[in-house]
Amino acid sequence: MARDGAADRLILVGAVTAPHGVQGAVKVKSFTADPEALAVLPLHDQEGRRVRLKVLSARGDVLIARIAGTSDRNAAERLRGTRLFVPREALDEPDEDEFYHADLIGLRAERADGSLVGTVAAMHDFGAGDLVEVKTEAGKAVLLPFDRDTVPVVDVAGGRLVVDPPHGLIDGEDGAPEEGAPDGEDGEDGTER
Amino acid sequence: MARSVWKGPFVDGYLLKKADAARSSGRKEVIKTWSRRSTILPQFVGLTFGVYNGHKFIPVLVNENMVGHKFGEFSPTRTYYGHAADRKSKRG
Repeated sequence: MARDGAADRLILVGAVTAPHGVQGAVKVKSFTADPEALAVLPLHDQEGRRVRLKVLSARGDVLIARIAGTSDRNAAERLRGTRLFVPREALDEPDEDEFYHADLIGLRAERADGSLVGTVAAMHDFGAGDLVEVKTEAGKAVLLPFDRDTVPVVDVAGGRLVVDPPHGLIDGEDGAPEEGAPDGEDGEDGTER
Repeated sequence: MARSVWKGPFVDGYLLKKADAARSSGRKEVIKTWSRRSTILPQFVGLTFGVYNGHKFIPVLVNENMVGHKFGEFSPTRTYYGHAADRKSKRG
């Protein structure tokens, strides 16, 4: 499945959550890696209108900002719930071997022989490196390390990943304890696990 | 209160055996474990463990910086998905 329309996709990067003060400022929740990046991105609302945003202050991923054309609290109140999008082509080109999560999510994950494993549902980093969450056809979520051994091919334009999962990660994984798995809390009965 | 130094780090014995077996086999495999409480030892570096989080096995490729931490630290039991936005991942 080619992803010809990938370049003109809109990517959700933030949302207006509430008005702030009486002079038309709003609170904006930023979903970007650098919350203040919203100030420099070409933002659009869900109707496709351009949104010009000036950041007044930031605390964590919540920005206090002024949106052009909003000068009082009533106008700011009407913006509550506005979602902020950015066209995919407005994002910088990633470095070599670096990929936007938005590009990876939705790709087909298949083995080298072309057999389908599932679809990329999410990307995670729990502190031990990036992981690809693949949702199998049976609806199970399987996590795979995002490294060259396990994911040798990433073909965003072609809409597919080639995966070579280590033995035991997909086959037979159902989250249920296997033989030898603990049935007590801590196995102090000598159970091997 | 910290664990007494004279005891050494805690590791479940069966996990040590599994790690030794995996290392000697030389196969690319995931060592599934439920032992979230075990300390990561230097001899685990380079091995991939599947650490159970009560739901599924989270792959943990052990590197030198993880030595001394517990396996459970790298396998959260609650997952927040959030938004992809402009976040990037680098293939390791």
